[in-house]
Amino acid sequence: MIRTAKPGPQPTSVNISSPTRRRGKELLTVLPFIAPWLLGFLTLVVYPFVASLVWSFDRYDMLSPPEYVGTANYERLADELVTGQRFGQAVWNTAYFALLSVPLSIVLGVGLAVMLSWQVRGQAVYRTILFLPSVVPIVASSILWLWLLDPQAGLVNYLLSLVGLPTPGWFNSTAEAAWPPGWFSGQWGFGSKDALVLMSLWGVGNFMIIYLAAIGDIPLSLYEAAELDGAGPLRRFWHVTLPMLSPVIFFNLVMGLIHAIQAFTQVYIVSEGQGAPAGSTLMLSLYVFLSAFKYLQMGYASAIAWTMFLLVVAATWALFRTSRRWVYYQTGRGIGVRG
Amino acid sequence: MNTRNFKRIAGVALLAGVIALAFWESGRRRFEVPQSRSEVVFWHFWGGKDRPVVEEICRRFNESQQEYFVRPVAMPGNNLDLKFFLSVAGGDPPDVLNQDDPIVADWAHREALLPLDAMASPEEIAELEGWLFPAARQIGSYQDRLYALCNGLDIRALYYNGDLLAEHGLAPPQTLAELDAAALAIAPPGEPHDRYGYLPDPRRLWSWGIVFGGRFYDPRTGVATADSEPIVAALDWMASYSRRYGPDQVARFRKGDQALPGAAFPLLEGRYAMIMDGQWRVAEIAAVAAAAAKRGEQVPHYGVVPLPPPPSGVPKAGWVNGNFFVVPRGARNPQGAWAFMKFWSGFDGHEGEAARACAGGGWIPASQAVVDHPTFQDYLRRYPLFGTFVELASSPEQVPTPGVPGAQFFQDEVIRAAEDAMYKLVPPRAALENANRRVQARLEAARAKE
Repeated sequence: MIRTAKPGPQPTSVNISSPTRRRGKELLTVLPFIAPWLLGFLTLVVYPFVASLVWSFDRYDMLSPPEYVGTANYERLADELVTGQRFGQAVWNTAYFALLSVPLSIVLGVGLAVMLSWQVRGQAVYRTILFLPSVVPIVASSILWLWLLDPQAGLVNYLLSLVGLPTPGWFNSTAEAAWPPGWFSGQWGFGSKDALVLMSLWGVGNFMIIYLAAIGDIPLSLYEAAELDGAGPLRRFWHVTLPMLSPVIFFNLVMGLIHAIQAFTQVYIVSEGQGAPAGSTLMLSLYVFLSAFKYLQMGYASAIAWTMFLLVVAATWALFRTSRRWVYYQTGRGIGVRG
Repeated sequence: MNTRNFKRIAGVALLAGVIALAFWESGRRRFEVPQSRSEVVFWHFWGGKDRPVVEEICRRFNESQQEYFVRPVAMPGNNLDLKFFLSVAGGDPPDVLNQDDPIVADWAHREALLPLDAMASPEEIAELEGWLFPAARQIGSYQDRLYALCNGLDIRALYYNGDLLAEHGLAPPQTLAELDAAALAIAPPGEPHDRYGYLPDPRRLWSWGIVFGGRFYDPRTGVATADSEPIVAALDWMASYSRRYGPDQVARFRKGDQALPGAAFPLLEGRYAMIMDGQWRVAEIAAVAAAAAKRGEQVPHYGVVPLPPPPSGVPKAGWVNGNFFVVPRGARNPQGAWAFMKFWSGFDGHEGEAARACAGGGWIPASQAVVDHPTFQDYLRRYPLFGTFVELASSPEQVPTPGVPGAQFFQDEVIRAAEDAMYKLVPPRAALENANRRVQARLEAARAKE
């Protein structure tokens, strides 16, 4: 069959170009409005991002022009990682902190949110009290915790001693409570990193509020159906609440992990800006800061920063991969959707 | 008046108040630069009770001048180095900066500083070198050239509570063996104590290493020697306290000791019988003692002695640092900066001003000529404990951090080695060899023009 052109008005050039022209006009109108943000984004985010990648292959001290040194900075990082020197120590400290603080904050956040969702008298007061710590500025809360966890005069150790429990060294100790070899060495105790984990739980209110909102969104019909099927409170929590919360848990897991890997302010304050004692609080972000601004090794610091960035990307990617197995989306993705 | 009107009036009144406050605040600026003078921008880190002392010195300089006018800018905090470096990199540095970190060699190596001979004649420089204490000269030098003018030294010695020692039948220690014996007598190993005779601080390896006869750097060969025998011996001795009492107990008891000011100074609190600290504690001890005497309380006898050496060690030795002026490359008024530096440090006939400044701030002068001035002698009579520090200031065995590029890194690595040995019981030799290797690698990288 031979197709012929349909009769009727042929499209003119005006008709073709007018939407394009309109879009161009709109862009010209929009540009001045977004220009301040765009300018800031380009100069404060895109430029440093690209520049730091270039400098990570350079030797650079800010005063002299950068000098290309190939992969020397990355080789130094690999060497320090293998020999357990500063970078290796920083990776270990960061991993220890992130792997403890993130899961604990999820468990605590979900637990508190579930309890706060119960219809009890004074519910609003409890919610306010538990959320309040997360609005305290991080510098203030860090100094507060330094006092609370002072091994000699701190309130926490005083209370522990009243009930006859051992009093840890907290920020003054290199001990690692969660590291199994320490359990059998006779030197077990809570050290500086454990104290940082404890501090991070203090700000769990932010996560808790998100869980609380998500719990409020779970349809009551699901609980009613489960109850009719004979499910008790624990089964309802396990088979209804947790799966329905899983997208929010996943979001908090990813965000918490990123924040934990980038932890700086509280670490700087409690560690005398040096990762003290004996490098036990030397986290990756603090190591970037010291290398760049104390020792003026901008190239090396950029290499650490990029390694950190790749670590975050890899961790996030791994979490997304596993999320298919345990995150339930009502919209049709993830587990719980068959066929 | 309805609520809306009230809110409007209150808002306008608040805005007017803020504007008036801003005008009043700008009007009371005490360092308005007269039009006939050229401005010298001076950055410093002094805050708190020291800031008025610094501003008083600036005011006196300005009164003495027809040509220059110093405008001090206080930048308290830990990151003055960073701010300074960014200002140099950005092309807008101050005219002069006062600092106390070991940065002279590093910054001079990176060509961020003007050498003093850019502002002074060769004769003046030669005279200045003879005028300064050896330690003050070393602090300001890089590759035998002066880049900084020291205006005050910080010296460490051993403070003691005489009454506490006497209770145990002990005298102030003159040797390391006596120090150990006193420490053990007051706090025998075993259960944790509320009071210790003495506990070493990892940061003080820099002092004890020199007292044991060591040097951290060999300027002839250009090699770091932080793992030399005397320094290993010093760290081994320091770590012996951790082995004796337990590393955790030492760490938790002594952390933060140095930062505690005034009455919280652990010696005054009775937490130690002996502690190493700097001359700034003299005025604090005197103030607390005076307050106690006023209340009719009995004041313990506090004293200070030089760091007691081991048999193979060196008397009157220790690590020294100090405050110094540097002029950045790119400064707009280097000659004005030089005039101000001389005025404060006391060089070139300004000894009286320097003596007044040192007495005001409780600082150790950088030259014997200032020490000898009647104003400072008067201060020494008021604070007799200060005499020990002043006596140590002239000792050639008071040695600063090596004047090499990456000196800050050097200093931190040695402290980390000491922390590893004291808190993780890493063998001292291994800890120091590791630190030395890292420092040497950094030195070589710096020499290859980092």
